[in-house]
Amino acid sequence: MIELINVTKIFGNKTAVNNLSLHIEKGSLTMFIGPSGCGKTTTLRMINRLTPFDKGNIIVNNTPISDIDPVKLRRNIGYVIQEIGLFPHFTVFENIAIVPRLLKWEQKKIERRVEELLELVTLDQSFTKKYPLQLSGGEKQRVGLARALAAEPEILLMDEPFGAIDPINRLKLQDSFLEIQEEIKKTIVFVTHDINEAIKLGDKIAIIDKGNLIQYDGVSQILSNPANEFVENLLGQDRNIKALSLKKAKDYVLKDGFITVLDTEPPETIKKKLEEKNIKIAFALDARNHLKSRYLLEKATNTKKQKFIHNPAPWIIERQNNINETLSKMLEIGEKQLPVVNRKKEFVGIIKLSNIFEEVNRKEIISEE
Amino acid sequence: MVNLKNWDQLLDSFCLHTFFLNFFKITLRRHIIPLSLFFEYYQDKIILEILNHIKIVAMSIPISILVSVSLGFYISSRPNIAKYVINVASIMMTIPSLALYGVMVVLLAPFKLGLGIVPAISAITIYSLLPITRNTYLALNQVKPGMIEAARGIGMSKNQILWKVKIPLSIPVIMSGLRIAIVMGISVATYASLIAAGGLGYFIFAGIGRANLTMVLVGAILISTLGIGINYLLLKVEDCITPKGLKVKR
Repeated sequence: MIELINVTKIFGNKTAVNNLSLHIEKGSLTMFIGPSGCGKTTTLRMINRLTPFDKGNIIVNNTPISDIDPVKLRRNIGYVIQEIGLFPHFTVFENIAIVPRLLKWEQKKIERRVEELLELVTLDQSFTKKYPLQLSGGEKQRVGLARALAAEPEILLMDEPFGAIDPINRLKLQDSFLEIQEEIKKTIVFVTHDINEAIKLGDKIAIIDKGNLIQYDGVSQILSNPANEFVENLLGQDRNIKALSLKKAKDYVLKDGFITVLDTEPPETIKKKLEEKNIKIAFALDARNHLKSRYLLEKATNTKKQKFIHNPAPWIIERQNNINETLSKMLEIGEKQLPVVNRKKEFVGIIKLSNIFEEVNRKEIISEE
Repeated sequence: MVNLKNWDQLLDSFCLHTFFLNFFKITLRRHIIPLSLFFEYYQDKIILEILNHIKIVAMSIPISILVSVSLGFYISSRPNIAKYVINVASIMMTIPSLALYGVMVVLLAPFKLGLGIVPAISAITIYSLLPITRNTYLALNQVKPGMIEAARGIGMSKNQILWKVKIPLSIPVIMSGLRIAIVMGISVATYASLIAAGGLGYFIFAGIGRANLTMVLVGAILISTLGIGINYLLLKVEDCITPKGLKVKR
């Protein structure tokens, strides 16, 4: 989709981008990351010819971009920047409609498109008449994304779009951005300096330092196989923990080591069942498979007698939670295993701390080989 | 129990007071013609000079706009030249306005245009160059670079960026420069009557010559009223042409 071949950019006597080659696949979300001044933004801006390159070539959709009129090229590539760049004298509608209007679309088609886009970025239709100064930072960013998508470009360039937004709203925006990308499947190049953002959003990460491409690979490959010390430092000491955020609870669900009972059964029967099977945990479900309570058979510490505990509202993990969140919940409540439910709150199994540990260890061995 | 010494003092000061009051009354009687009488006598002249005053300003401002706005646009993307242009215009502003009239009279005399409306218009035009040029320059440069980058990035041509982004966002600032220039022009046009161009300055200078306070006051008040009125009107215009999106509050 986008092919950078030996691209070089020199500002004065400083080489901003040095002989950089990169292939960006169609429909993938590629993150450019590196310290400030490393050339990541310059590389991005060369793709839509906002910055001309000195050597090499960039090919978009099998056409060298030097053969395309820059204004035409840019109208076919969505562009989102940090300072939002919404025009304050235009309403939200006019802002989103800019590129379609430049491309001389029919008014009705534009109206339909704006309506569609507002729905996509989960903004109410009443926003069309508002002005940018009336919007919050997050809302502005959503409008900015909608504007970039307006003329249905195949490629989207995003230059630290969430940089100016407070951490809480940034997480929300990242989540909804991921959902939107799942729906639109555009080829996106995304510049960031936040490694957590890169890991969370990216399919692939390109790590750039002093104008050189250091490593370009899938997110999990980079986490398990950093190319050099620079990448290791960038990823941080906790890269194995970060790698866990790529895994979902559903990957670790176990179907054994517990029994399920109906929540109408009396505790004595449940206790007997547990003793018979030599199992310590029982989950009581109702007729619709919803988790109601948990029974625990535990050895009391100083006697040989067994304790039988009943928790009416046990903690749960959702299938979609990543392992980071799962571990955090386990630490918070001090449990080594938690029941897992799906989107409809139906019980699907349990997740065990020991299982997660095994997985992390296994990956460590692979990366050391 | 009246203290006689104090009483004396009180009487003294009272007499002194009435003496000055009387003196002031006599002065007033001698130098102030009743307003009703003044207006009756000078009615036609007042209307004529108001129109004259407006005419002089109205003829110089369009020339000034034409020159300054285009100059402002030209220097907006050339910061090196801008520095000099703004400096020269600033120096022009420091010339006392009366002197500027003198200069114009001398310069235009060889062309037989030394007196009358031509030097007056030239002086006011030069005087109002700075506020308009400076505000145009500042207005075009206050548009955030990020915004222009965004406009380029989504595929607007240079012309489209100028007409759809830069100008709408600059209009309020350019307009306020224009307003300052016009109001200043109204006050500077006072001297026009000294070089036979007419205008409300007539009443001030004629009033001084005849020691006629009423005349001076009428001239001064008329000029101020004209200035305040036009300033108010232009503020309204400024508000009207400011894009709605820049005025909204959250």
